[in-house]
Order: sequence, then C-alpha cells, then structure tokens
Amino acid sequence: MDFALSEEQELFRTAIRKYMTDLGKTDIARSIIDGKLESITRVTSGLAEMGISAIPIPEEQDGLGLGALDLVPVFEETGRVLLPGIQLETLALAVPLLNAYGTQVQKSNWLTKVATGESTISVAWYEQNRGLTPKSFSAIAAKTTSGYAVTGTKTLVSVLGNPDIFVTAAQTAEGKSLFLIKASDVASQKILPGIDETQQIAQLTFDQAPAELLGEPGEAAQMLDNALLHFNAALCSSMVGGMDELVHTTTEYAKIRIQFNQPIGRFQAVKHGIVNMKLDLETARSLSYYAAWAVENNTEDKETAVHSARSFVSKAYIKAAADSIQLHGGIGFTEELDVQLYLKRARYYENYFGSVRDSRKKAARALGWHTKSTKQHPVPVS
Amino acid sequence: MNFTFTKKEEKFRGELRAWLETNLPTGWLEGDRQLPKDPQHYSQFLRDWQRALYEGGWAAIAWPKEYGGRDATLMEEIIYHQEMVRVQSPPLINYIGIHMVAPTLMQMGTDSQKDEFIEKILTGEQVWSQGYSEPSAGSDLSAIQTMAVKKDGKWVINGQKVWTSFAHLADRCFLLTKTEKSEGKHDGITVFLLDMHQPGVETVPIVQMDGHQEFNEVYLTDAIATDADVVGEVGKGWKVLIALMLHERSGIAAQVFTLEQQFDRVVDMAKSVQVCGVSLMEDPFVGDGLADLYTRINGAKLNYYRNITHTLKNGKPGPESSLDKLLVSELTKELFDFAMTIQGHAGILMAEDALFDSDMQGQYLASFGATIGGGTSEVQRNTIGERILGLPKDLGR
Ligand SMILES: Cc1cc2nc3c(=O)[nH]c(=O)nc-3n(C[C@H](O)[C@H](O)[C@H](O)COP(=O)(O)OP(=O)(O)OC[C@H]3O[C@@H](n4cnc5c(N)ncnc54)[C@H](O)[C@@H]3O)c2cc1C
Repeated sequence: MDFALSEEQELFRTAIRKYMTDLGKTDIARSIIDGKLESITRVTSGLAEMGISAIPIPEEQDGLGLGALDLVPVFEETGRVLLPGIQLETLALAVPLLNAYGTQVQKSNWLTKVATGESTISVAWYEQNRGLTPKSFSAIAAKTTSGYAVTGTKTLVSVLGNPDIFVTAAQTAEGKSLFLIKASDVASQKILPGIDETQQIAQLTFDQAPAELLGEPGEAAQMLDNALLHFNAALCSSMVGGMDELVHTTTEYAKIRIQFNQPIGRFQAVKHGIVNMKLDLETARSLSYYAAWAVENNTEDKETAVHSARSFVSKAYIKAAADSIQLHGGIGFTEELDVQLYLKRARYYENYFGSVRDSRKKAARALGWHTKSTKQHPVPVS
Repeated sequence: MNFTFTKKEEKFRGELRAWLETNLPTGWLEGDRQLPKDPQHYSQFLRDWQRALYEGGWAAIAWPKEYGGRDATLMEEIIYHQEMVRVQSPPLINYIGIHMVAPTLMQMGTDSQKDEFIEKILTGEQVWSQGYSEPSAGSDLSAIQTMAVKKDGKWVINGQKVWTSFAHLADRCFLLTKTEKSEGKHDGITVFLLDMHQPGVETVPIVQMDGHQEFNEVYLTDAIATDADVVGEVGKGWKVLIALMLHERSGIAAQVFTLEQQFDRVVDMAKSVQVCGVSLMEDPFVGDGLADLYTRINGAKLNYYRNITHTLKNGKPGPESSLDKLLVSELTKELFDFAMTIQGHAGILMAEDALFDSDMQGQYLASFGATIGGGTSEVQRNTIGERILGLPKDLGR
C-alpha cells in the first residue's frame, strides 16, 4: 500500500504552487472583486501551457489521459489561492460528462479545445427555488429538424472567464435530459450578487437556444450523479487546499502576534484551536485523497468515499475559516486579511451541487443502509 | 420563582409602547426600517432619533433623575430593552456615551466634567467613541503605547488606536493612554476625554468583512488635551477603565433580546421560504436544528434572568456578565451559520436577490465581530475560568 501522491504528482504541485505564487496568490481572486475579470483569461492560458487542462482529457483528443488523482495537486493548489473561475466545472464536471456520454463529434469538438485551454465549459443545472433533484425542470427542450431548442431560465451558474458552452438540463418527453448550448446562444445573462465576490454567478435565459443532446434523453439525473463523483472529489481537493493555507497562515500568525508579552500561540486556547484545525485538515486530506483514488479506480465504494469526503470537508472548511477569523482577533474581521475570502468561498461551496445532507444521504444509501425504498424527502435542501 | 411582571412594571411597558408608537421615525413600525446609507445622513438620522428619545425622557432611563434619567429599576431596564428590540428601534448612536462614559463620569468625574458632558451625551449633541485597542494591544490592554506627555501645561498625545467603533461619527473619545513608563503593568495609565475635532486627530475607516465601515484607525499626532480632560487621577486610569467596564451591564440585556428576535426572523424565514413548493420548516432537519437553537437561546435568556435575580438580591453585578456575553455572541454566530445552511444553494445570494428579505448573509458575516469585539471569547473563557471557577492564571499573564 502507498497512501501518498506520486513523485510526479508532487512535482506537478510544486510547479503549480510556483505559478500561483508568481501570480501573487490571492491577487487574482482580489482582482475579480475589483472588476478586473480579464485576469482569468491569462490564468487559464497559463494553466493550459503547463498542461493542466489536458490532464483528464483522453489522448485521442490531445489530452494527457490522466485521472482524478492527478487533479488532486492541481485543485489543492488552485484552491489554496482561491483561484476564481470555472476550472472545476470544466475539468471535473463537463469533461467527465463528455468523456462518458459525448459522441465522437462532441468529443473532438470540445475536449480538444479544453485541453489546449482554448475553451472552458460551465454547467447550468439549477432553476429558481428548486433543489438539485427536482422532479422535473421548467426549462423545456423541443425537438427541431436539426436537434433541440431549449427555452427556460437557469440560475446559480458559475460564469467567470466566459465559458464557450454550457452543459444544461431541460425537460423532454423522455424526462430530464442534458444538452450542450453555445454561450453565444444564451438570450440573456444577469449577474447576481453573491456572498463570494471572487466568483461570478449568473441567471441565464435560453429562448429557443439551439441545443445538442448529450447522452440519452431522460438520463440527466443519472448522468449528473456519475459526473458528480469526479466533481466532488475535485471540489474536496480545492477545499483541502484552502484549509491547508488557513492552517498555515493561522499558525504563522500565532507565532508572531504578541499579547501579554508572549506569542499568542503559547496560550492553550489558541494552540488547541489551531491543533483542532490541523486535525480536521489532515482528516479532510485523507478522505479527499481516498475519494480521488476511488474515482480513478472505479472502486465499488467510490460513492461512499466521495460523498462522505464531501460532507466532512465542506463543514470542516467553513469551520477552519471561521476559527481562523476568530484567532486573528480584530484584524480577522476586516476586509484587509484574506481569511474572510476563504470563509466566503467555503460558504459558496457548501451547497454547490449538493449539500452536506445530500452527501450523507448518498453515502448512507451507497452503504446499503436504505435498502428498502424509503419515502423521498419532501424538501431537497440544496 | 415568579416570571410575571408587577402592575407597575406593566404600566411602565405600556407608557413606553405608547410613546414608541407615536415617536418612531415615519414608516418604521410598518416595517420600512431603512437607515440612510451615506455617513452624514446616517449620523444626522440617528442623532435626531436620540434627540427624540431625550425629549420623550427615554434616552437614558437608568440614569439618576438629577442627570435627566428616570432612576429606572433593573426590571424596568429589561422591559425597556425588550420593547426597543420588539420594534427593532434604530440603533442608539451614542450607546457608548450613554451606557459607559456618562455613568463613569457620574461616578468619578469632576463637577465641571459632569456639567460639560453629561447633558450633551444625553441629548445626542455629543457622540462618543472609546479608544483602547492599539495595533499591539488588543486582548492585553496594559500594553498600550499611546503616550500623553505634559508640555507647557497641556497634554500632548501621540500614538495610534485601532478598531475604534463609531470614531468617524464621534465628537469625543474616551481615550486610554500611557503617561509614564512604569514597572507595574497597570500603572502609569491615564484616561482622557479627548476632543476629536482637532488637527491632531485623524480617523481612517476600516472596511469590515461584511462590507461595512463601523470601526476605524485613529491617528494621534500632537493631539492636545488639558488637565480638565483627565478622568480620575493621572496614572490611575486602569481603575477608571475597570469602573467603566462594569457599566457595560445594561447593554448585555439588549443582546439577549436581540438574539431572541433574530431567532424569530430565522423561524419566519423557515416558515415562509419554499423550495419546490414546500416550506423549509417542513424539513425535519430544519425543525430539529431550530428546536436545538431555540432551547439554547432560551437557556441563555434564562441564565441572564438568573444573573439579574442574583444582582437584585446582592445589589451589585458579578462576573457573570462574562457568561452572558460569551453565550450570546457564540449563539449569534451559530444561529446565522444555521440560517445559511438551511437556505441551501440559494443562500450564497446576497442583498435583494437573497431568498429572504432580511439579509441573513449580511448578518452571518457581521456575527463574526461579536465573538471578538468587547473581549474575545477566549478571553471571556479565561475570565470565567479564573474569576468564577477560581482556576489559576495562565503562566506569564
Ligand atoms: C466589531 C468590533 C468592534 C470593536 N470596537 C472597539 C472599540 O470601539 N474600541 C476599542 O478600543 N476596541 C474595539 N474593538 C477591539 C476589540 O476589543 C479587540 O479586537 C479584541 O479585544 C481583541 O484584540 P486583538 O484584535 O488585538 O486580538 P488579539 O488580542 O491579538 O487576539 C488574537 C487571538 O488570540 C487570542 N488571545 C489573546 N490573548 C489570549 C489569552 N490570554 N488567552 C487565550 N487566548 C488569547 C484571542 O482570543 C484571539 O483569538 C472592536 C473589535 C471588533 C471586532
């Protein structure tokens, strides 16, 4: 057994960490708050040059044909600096969907472009006041001579960095189905005020937008569930990266901040607080590594592995950021420090494509604890 | 045990309610509770509100009659806070002046200080801030470095204060300084009643993580104070500070009731927000979590009542206020954390796009200040451990 990232993977980490440091770490995230959205494009092409965007793409589409474990250091390092944008949506949600369900044409159209960094993809799934698993969508896909046309409104769509296409879900006669829609065919887009100002979330309206069916009609929920295993494993890595940075900066602060003639880290209240953060961090890291391994190797317990990791890491990230604010005292409550940005990112991710409860439920189900079909919960909280 | 109020107390409540109904700013009771956004209008709006309270005899009910108060009993104070919270009254701009500075001056100020400041504090003509924290002195206030030096009969003050709430709106500052470098940690400290409208005082707002600018940095460069501005004795400011902190008491009550009211808002949200046509409240997870919070918030309130009873019987408050502060601030954070969680994905939306009219996201972010300001939770725990439980102090403190 070898429960560690490989040497190559660690080398990848070093390279990305250096790139992110050169970019000024959270400077990119802060530039979004200042409205300098174009900084994302530069980062996207920089990452592509390093081969990052080619990692999960098959070799036939000019990718590296690597797996979920190879994305671990990538997302840990981008998560560490709160890199804004839709790398997660593109590489860990849209790509697995295209890999698994795309036609040859769809793959060669889109995956090649993603590999070179020419294109990014986002996912437009949610609708107003409906959870992750609505019975039906109000967005409708009607058959046309050349394919489908989608009409409807989607919300909570991550749009930073001008995605070229959206994977979206709409209702057909066969049920909930997935579609690809070009960004240029979006009728209107409204940016919504979000808690995490380093990201951009939008409401999108489609009006008879030309849409390509992805996979089989009526299979949207099942397809998303499968892709979410990749997504959640990657999301966990991103959150672990953020937590790691929080533990690091809080520890450093506790060493240099003097009160009562001594570094505050000498007070047990502070020391134990940071140690508890560290315990959560290491647990989160182990769970997230294992989740990525299970996804990569398509193990039997992959659903349990991913969803239990997701439920733990989401909560631990929020707690680490909250505790870090507290341990910084007055300065922690200001905009000046980055800690608050981590807290807002943690909250942004808390219910992203599923809540802690959803994950726990899915883990329990995967463990066979719900063998009899139980009555569906009336309120999907996500 | 008896939780009912006396007839006299209920009469007091009725009087206050009647006054509030006619005197709250227009539209306030109907739910239009907008405060002006820019600092100038904000300040004027709140000063006008305090003036109205003063004219109605409701600005400082706990003060002795001779200073313009009502000599209110502790129970009347509680009723007062309950009622103010009930109508979600506009904040008291001169909270620091009324609840802390003036009572301290009544206790240890000179006659001319009382004459000069107390009435202006009451009317809202003079707004106060408190300048204790410095870049290297937060939890440990004895480490302050702001120096006041006597020159040509005047005190010349140099240094920097930080996190000074309301300094940008304030006319005066209750300022903690060092007047001599001394051996004892708490010696050589002097409190001044600093005039903030002078060239040596520069106020720079700090943006908080919730986007608001309520606290400030205050730079003091050859700021001037006179002997008449010294509270108590020169070099004995620590005693003054301790006295002032004991006057924080009545503010705590309002915190318990505010928390209770915030809880009710979260319950309203759970009842009225629907996801897929079903209200959040019908989700057992939500009900379960709210019941737990309800119990603990109610426990905090009952604790507070028990502490009040203790104070009523003993005639003076004890260190129990640390328990109240710790419980209330931590529960506030937990309440809004839960309010965020139950909103699901739409909970990341702020302001007008938020799921629920009162911005839970904003209140969540603001709640992080509660466990830091006024002494951090860690320091409150130290106080409870040492002063209530009698545990030994941390080495070196
Ligand atoms: C919203 C808000 C409003 C404020 N308003 C004012 C104001 O009007 N006037 C004013 O003067 N100040 C004000 N403050 C400042 C506040 O009193 C200080 O921030 C607070 O006392 C903590 O000091 P610090 O920020 O220097 O943190 P530090 O003292 O540096 O604390 C950092 C961390 O170390 C911990 N710590 C420190 N010492 C110990 C110890 N002995 N044992 C265990 N843990 C310890 C703290 O709990 C904290 O977690 C305000 C602060 C806030 C957040």
